[in-house]
Amino acid sequence: MKRFGFVLGVLLAVCLVMTIGSPAWGAKVIKIGVIGPMKFVQGKGHWNGATLAAEEINAKGGIQVGKKKMKIELVKADSNEFLSMTDATNAMELAITRHKVDFLVGGFRTEAVLAMQDIAMDYKKIFIGCGAAHPKLCTRVAQNYDRYKYWFRGTPFNSMYLARTCFIHMATVGAILKKMLNIPKVKVAIVAEKAMWVDPMVAAAKGFIPKMGMEVAGIWRPSAVATDVTAELSAIQRAGAHMIFTTFSSSVGITFARQAGELKIPAAQVGINVEAQKDGFWDATEGMGNYVMTMNTYARGVEYNELTAPFVDKYIKKFAEVPTYTADTYAAIIYTLAPTIEEAGTLDADKLVAVLENRECMVPSGKIRYTKDTEGRHLHDLKWGPGYLTSLGTQWQDGKLKGVWPNRWKASKDAPEITYKGIVPYKIAPWIIDKYKK
Amino acid sequence: MAIAGFYLRRLYTIFKGEVLVLPSRVVVFLFFLAVLFLPIVTQDPYLLRILILTSIFAILAASWDLLSGFTGQLNFGHALFFGVGAYTSALLNLHARIPPSGSIPLGALAAVLAGLIIGIPCLRLRGTYLALTTLAFPIILMGIVFAIPSITGGELGVSGLDRLSRSRVSDYYITVVLMLGLCTIMWKITDSNTGVIFHAIREDELAVRTAGINTTRYKLLAFSLSGFFAGIAGGLYAHFMRIAGPSTLEVSMSFTVVIWAVFGGIVTIYGPVGAVFILFPVLEFLRFWPEFRMLMFAVVILFILLYMPDGLLPWLRDKIEEECPRCKIRNVATRKTCRVCTAPLD
Repeated sequence: MKRFGFVLGVLLAVCLVMTIGSPAWGAKVIKIGVIGPMKFVQGKGHWNGATLAAEEINAKGGIQVGKKKMKIELVKADSNEFLSMTDATNAMELAITRHKVDFLVGGFRTEAVLAMQDIAMDYKKIFIGCGAAHPKLCTRVAQNYDRYKYWFRGTPFNSMYLARTCFIHMATVGAILKKMLNIPKVKVAIVAEKAMWVDPMVAAAKGFIPKMGMEVAGIWRPSAVATDVTAELSAIQRAGAHMIFTTFSSSVGITFARQAGELKIPAAQVGINVEAQKDGFWDATEGMGNYVMTMNTYARGVEYNELTAPFVDKYIKKFAEVPTYTADTYAAIIYTLAPTIEEAGTLDADKLVAVLENRECMVPSGKIRYTKDTEGRHLHDLKWGPGYLTSLGTQWQDGKLKGVWPNRWKASKDAPEITYKGIVPYKIAPWIIDKYKK
Repeated sequence: MAIAGFYLRRLYTIFKGEVLVLPSRVVVFLFFLAVLFLPIVTQDPYLLRILILTSIFAILAASWDLLSGFTGQLNFGHALFFGVGAYTSALLNLHARIPPSGSIPLGALAAVLAGLIIGIPCLRLRGTYLALTTLAFPIILMGIVFAIPSITGGELGVSGLDRLSRSRVSDYYITVVLMLGLCTIMWKITDSNTGVIFHAIREDELAVRTAGINTTRYKLLAFSLSGFFAGIAGGLYAHFMRIAGPSTLEVSMSFTVVIWAVFGGIVTIYGPVGAVFILFPVLEFLRFWPEFRMLMFAVVILFILLYMPDGLLPWLRDKIEEECPRCKIRNVATRKTCRVCTAPLD
């Protein structure tokens, strides 16, 4: 009898431990598929951001769905989209049909995201894009709302605004050079890597620079993986450029910045240099990348609002690097999806869409609001501009990547001035001052 | 009823005498049965998706073998035919509202034209020079795609195309039946007089010309036929994915086709088809180990090519079947004498 009692006791203890120790028992989890090129920095950003969000939500007990709390389970889906579009669509179908995800965040290469978007829409799954910037992803929502209404842009704002922001940076630096160095007409060299995505940017820059009261000094297109650009730099110097509008996403960004620094080319670098957004840029250029300016999303010490610093600090603490914009899967989950589910009290995609498209919420990179087109149709695209999303202009200043824009920026004559917390003044390289200061 | 019985008995006799005598034919028969009856067992959308794409790429790989394997016209730019088929089908579907049943064949005809366009300047080239020249053509076309984004959609491609059909199972049957049919046609072409001439051109073009055969015409025919089948694969791909983008023209696409064909065994048609049916699902299966997925894939291919230089399927076939030294008829390896001429087998 004693033996029976002991066995019964053990069995009860095991049952108790298993019941307590298995949080998923009796409570369905919310599965979120994180899809992206996981072997590349963009996919790692997707995954890191989502991990941080899931940990935070689960630590608080999960998301309140109606009367029950549900925890989040992330499903990693490697789209391999840079190398194979077929892989990307297969990963999407796998996540939806086998792993039974409830929501999706991620995606990067537009061609692949268009195909993945179709699959998500076939299964009526809410898909928050966190990487591709092309407007077409959102115009599909307006053109065929019933089919594409489950798509929302999470980050970045669309490519038209990306270009616009770059030109604002160029105009800002141009005005500083003009004022500080008494340059009557600023000459701009357009330097863009040889890549297809850059072509529209080059064409737009060529058209806009004269409209901004500046002059195009020439266009140079080095290879995206060039290891020597001294010929281009010499030509830029000979052309008398005061400013260089860069569009680099590859390793040429390091080569260009390093050699321009070594040769002390008297022209300020502004634009997009993806390599300069990374922490390793300073070491990679051996400090020669000083004063390079690039468009960016996050920088140490710069705060769009009260949510920025906690996110950036937590991210740096956990992953030992500043988050890139694809890490905004964090915002997509914690500030977009989770509150929407709690507000709607359901996981029903149609009900969630109705709540989500009218939401306005703060995220670490600004404020999100979904836009409509000129005909009043939902686009599910992000609103750009003061008070909403603007991104940053960051500049390397003596080994540190500092936020330098927006600094007393006025979007229009009547608009209020905007300066984010932690923004410092733009610095002109000393050799540029030496060359032009009269 | 009696007539039906007669034909059924005759069919069974043929089946017994032609199919059951060789293991390779039994395998092919079972393969046909398996792919045709799979949806009765499962309609899992992910599995069907993988098999649909496998079937499309099987057509593409076999079409490469038809040109480069049989005729010896080493084509390193096979993605050109695939891309032309995909883009033409997509544009016709999107702008002229031609349904997939019309746009895919028209896309294939455009690929035939592409085959002729690249075939003519390549007639004077051989070996490495031909391979490098063909490699350039999809790159040139990709340049054109990016140069006229108003028509081709630029980096986004042409999207929003009609589906192949209304359900995944129908998509499956369309692609699988087409794959089985087209690969059988390609195999029959290589088994015909034309195929013998293709083969001869690869072995010794001068000797073929000396025999009074217009090799130029046959080489162009090989380019056109290969383009046609690859174009159909491209059109199917575009309508299944509902997008035709620059990825259809990428160099990696051209090289993947070569890897499939060499892995399965060139100059066979069935080799590349079998290779795609092994490698494409294997690559998907390796998702469980994402960090080493491509490495494992490369190791499998290297291992096969190291120990089976003629390709996996011919190697397997040679293990289970033996060719009669006298009449060249194949026999199951366990036989002591030839099933036709009764000559002793080694």
